[in-house]
Amino acid sequence: MIGISFILFYLAIAKGFEPLLLIPIGFGGLLANIPLANIIGDGGFIGELFKAGIANELFPILIFMGVGAMTDFGPLLANPKTALLGAAAQFGIFGTLVGAVALSQWGIFDFSMQDAAAISIIGGADGPTTIFIASKLAPDLLGAMAVAAYSYMALVPVIQPPIMKALTTEEERKIKMTTKRKVSKLEKMMFPITVLVLTILILPESSPLIGALTFGNFVRESGVVERLSKTLQNELINIVTIFLGLSVGSKLAAEYFLVPETLGILILGLVAFSIGTAAGVIMGKIMNKLSSEPINPLIGAAGVSAVPMAARVANRVGMESDPTNVLLMHAMGPNVAGVIGSAVAAGVLLSIF
Amino acid sequence: MILEAVKYMILGMGVVYVFLIVMVYVLDWQHKLLLKFFPESFEDTPPPSPTSKRDKLKKVAAITAALHHMKKS
Repeated sequence: MIGISFILFYLAIAKGFEPLLLIPIGFGGLLANIPLANIIGDGGFIGELFKAGIANELFPILIFMGVGAMTDFGPLLANPKTALLGAAAQFGIFGTLVGAVALSQWGIFDFSMQDAAAISIIGGADGPTTIFIASKLAPDLLGAMAVAAYSYMALVPVIQPPIMKALTTEEERKIKMTTKRKVSKLEKMMFPITVLVLTILILPESSPLIGALTFGNFVRESGVVERLSKTLQNELINIVTIFLGLSVGSKLAAEYFLVPETLGILILGLVAFSIGTAAGVIMGKIMNKLSSEPINPLIGAAGVSAVPMAARVANRVGMESDPTNVLLMHAMGPNVAGVIGSAVAAGVLLSIF
Repeated sequence: MILEAVKYMILGMGVVYVFLIVMVYVLDWQHKLLLKFFPESFEDTPPPSPTSKRDKLKKVAAITAALHHMKKS
């Protein structure tokens, strides 16, 4: 297990994969495996952190506030239709749920329905949501799931482009999108309230996650509490990330991690991620055919959350075909819709199980 | 059990789509509403350069005309 911690350090430091999380997680794993010190048990400092913030799902919620404060929903407001791409990409979650259940049925892995649901949420490419769901539905698998989710988020630039290229033609990748309309300050300010009201009406189970997200965003867009907005974006999210990373790392104890299920989680997580990307791109192609305005299918791949990495990848792949085609702002629309989409999907899973 | 999972898949994707489609319509409607009642929030602050340039030219023209007039008289 200590070896795995060092692999995480290597990935974070030498390869630059999500160092903000993999360093605390790796070190948490290291501390968790020190014999006799009882760091992760009752009364141990990481054990207490775990009880204080992961067991009761507090830390993921706090992270969501920070994410809300950091996210500019302007690109989504300028072209709301692109939210549908963010919905399509959530197919990765539910497609994998079926896959995981099927594999258990055939005796390849041994996952219960709850476990399968928790694993499939990795396809939402959203770290806090994954931890939120895992701590509720499958606490034993938390360590492996968090490591899988954050590793795949870091690997977005490696995993996504081959899928995107396989599903689109050169002409489709060259499609230029029309410039967007102006979004007013008032409109941005109304957005978090509108989304929250919709959540309460349609899916109250999602309101902890969406509520925190919209609170953070409202603080940002209200424009009068710059201090709070800065704290949410920097100090709060940084402190919580340290606590969250260490606590998640404590689940990297050998008896939880070195089990065959971990391999299953890593494989299914990758599948979930790939299906999500593919579903987004295919939805992009369909929308391009049906819609009056041209839509570049590449931005569909940004529908998996992973803000803003997935949008950057869409932009880069587009530029490889046509260097003058800047898709970044267009891709941010489905990207931020993906965050809302995966929070909604999480709410659905919570209401079922 | 697989059938059950497929049922959850349809339910889940259905809810995600319904949520985001409703959101798209509500946002469109909200945009129209804001455009109707608060059109000023969408307007750019008018770029000052072209009008003031023309004003300056007008002033120059007026001064030259005045000078000509003085010289003639």
